[in-house]
Amino acid sequence: MSLLLEVDGAEKRFGGLPALDGVTFGVDEGEILAVVGPNGAGKSTLLKTIGGLERLTAGSISLSGSKLDGLPPYRIRHRGVAMVMQTPQAFASMTARENAVLGAMFGSATGLLSEREARVRAEEALGFVGLSDRAEDPVATFNLHQLRFLELARALAGHPRLLLLDEVMAGLNDAELEASIGIVRTVRNQLGVTVIWVEHVMKAVMNLAERILVLDFGTMLAEGAPADVMRDPSVIEAYLGSSSSA
Amino acid sequence: MRSLVPIALTAAALALVPLWLSDSDFRMGLALEGLLFTAYAIAFNLIFGSTKQLFLCVGALAGVGGYTAAILADRVGLPMLLALVLAAGAAAVTGGLFSWVAVRRSLDVIFTGIITLTFSLAFQNLILGQRNLTGGETGLLVDTGAGTILREPVPAYYVFLGIVVTYLVVFRLLQRSHVGWAFRALRDDEVAAELAGVNVPRYRIYAGLVGSGMLGLAGAFFAFTEGFISASTFSFGHVDIRVLVMVVFGGLGTLLGPVLGATVFSVIDEVLIGVGQLRQVVYGLVVIAFFVGFKHGLVPAIETLVRTIAGRMGARIGTKGD
Repeated sequence: MSLLLEVDGAEKRFGGLPALDGVTFGVDEGEILAVVGPNGAGKSTLLKTIGGLERLTAGSISLSGSKLDGLPPYRIRHRGVAMVMQTPQAFASMTARENAVLGAMFGSATGLLSEREARVRAEEALGFVGLSDRAEDPVATFNLHQLRFLELARALAGHPRLLLLDEVMAGLNDAELEASIGIVRTVRNQLGVTVIWVEHVMKAVMNLAERILVLDFGTMLAEGAPADVMRDPSVIEAYLGSSSSA
Repeated sequence: MRSLVPIALTAAALALVPLWLSDSDFRMGLALEGLLFTAYAIAFNLIFGSTKQLFLCVGALAGVGGYTAAILADRVGLPMLLALVLAAGAAAVTGGLFSWVAVRRSLDVIFTGIITLTFSLAFQNLILGQRNLTGGETGLLVDTGAGTILREPVPAYYVFLGIVVTYLVVFRLLQRSHVGWAFRALRDDEVAAELAGVNVPRYRIYAGLVGSGMLGLAGAFFAFTEGFISASTFSFGHVDIRVLVMVVFGGLGTLLGPVLGATVFSVIDEVLIGVGQLRQVVYGLVVIAFFVGFKHGLVPAIETLVRTIAGRMGARIGTKGD
C-alpha cells in the first residue's frame, strides 16, 4: 500500500504551550487510523492542522508527496481532504440536499462543478448515508446523529481521498453508534476513502480502527494495532489516569 | 427565466409612477431620489446582505463615482460614457480594496465597519478640502448632461429605473450561480464554507468589487442627471444611515427587500415633510416600530405569511382528499 499522508515533526504551540510536539506518522491509502488520548492531548489540534484550520509552528504535512501545511482550508479541500467536525456545521439556511450540493459543487478536486453535476453527486452521497428521504428537509429538523451524517454526505459529495473525522461518535446512543461505525467502514470499503479519526468512544475505536495512534500532552505515546496499543502500560496509565470515563 | 419574473413585475410597477407624479417636477425629483436609494440599497445588500461585510461608506463610494465622473467629464473633457465607466471602476477598485484588506487581515463585521466609516469621514474632508477640484462646501455644478434629456424629470427617472432593473438582474443572476451558493454558505457559517471548499476570501472580494462598482455608477449617473453634487449629497448621515435602515427593514440578502425598503422609506420621508422639525423624531419612532414588527425584514415576513397560508390551504385540501 502506498503512503497517502505524511506528518513529519508536527509542532503547534499556543503561546509557549505545545499542543503538538514532534508528532510524526504516516497513513497508508485506504487505512482507518484512530487517534486517541486523554482530553487536551492534542488530537483535535492534529486534525485541524491537517485540515488547515490551524497552522503548524514547525514540521510539515504532505499528501501524496505534495505539501499541505500552510494552505487555507478550501485549498486543502480541493486536494481531496474533507473534514467532519465534532460540532456539526450544516448550513442552516439550506435543506439537506442543498448542503450536499454545495459540498459537491465546491469540494471537488476537479474544480467547480455545474449545479446539474453537483445535484447528481449530492443524490449519491445522501443515498450513501441513508438520508435520501430527508433531502428536502431544512437542517433545523435534524438531530445530532443525522446532522453528522449530513456532514458526512456533504464531505463525500466532493469525492475526497482522505476523510478527517473529529469525535463524530460522541453523544450517540448504541443504535446510532453502530450505524456510525457501519457507515465509516462502508465509506472505506466501497469508496476506498482513507480515514483519520479522532475518537473518545473506545468501544467504537476497538471495533473499527485498524491502527491506533495515542497522543498525550502533544506527544506520541504509542502507535500500532488496537489490541497491542491498549495493552501498553504507558497508554493505560495516561488514559485511565486522566480520563476514567472513557 | 422564471426567476426574472419578480423583477419584471417590480419594473412594471415602478414604470407607472411618472403617470401619477409627472405633473410635479418636485415629486418626480423625490421619486428619482427614491430610485437612486434603491440602487444604493441593492448594492449595499450585495456587499453586506450577501457576504456580511459592513461597508459604512455607501455614500462615499457613490461620491467617488459622482466626483470622478463630474471631474473627468467637465474638467478633463472625456465623453460622458467613458467618464461613467471610469467612475464605476474607481469606486469598484476602492471598495474592492477594502474587501481585500478586510479579508487579508481577517477583520470581522465591526472592524470592517470602523475602517469603512473612517473612509467615509476622510472622503467627506477630502471633498471639503480640495476646493479647486470639488467646489468644497459650495458644491460642484456639473455641466455635462445639461441640455440633454438626462435633465428632464421623466426621462431621468427612467434612466434610474433602468439602473435599478439592471442591478436587480445582476443580483439575481449572481444568486442563481456558483457565486450565490458561495454567498449563502459563507453567510451561514464561514468556517464550514471554507471546509466545504468555498474560497471565502475570493467571494468576499467579488461582492466588494461588484457592489462598489454599482454604487459608483449610481453616484455618477446622479451627478449628470442632477447637475449638482456636494459633500452632503454623499455624506454618511444623508446616505448610509438611510440605506442601512432600508435594507435591514426590507430584508437582508433578499432580492426585493432593498426595493421595498427604499420605497417604503421614501414614501415615509415624503409624508413626514409636513411635520417639519419633528420629522426626525417621527422618522425614528417609525423605524423603531417597524423593526420591532419585522425583525428579519419585510420580505421574509411576507414569505412566511404566504407559506403559512399556503400550508393551511394545503392541509385543508389534504383533509378533503381523505
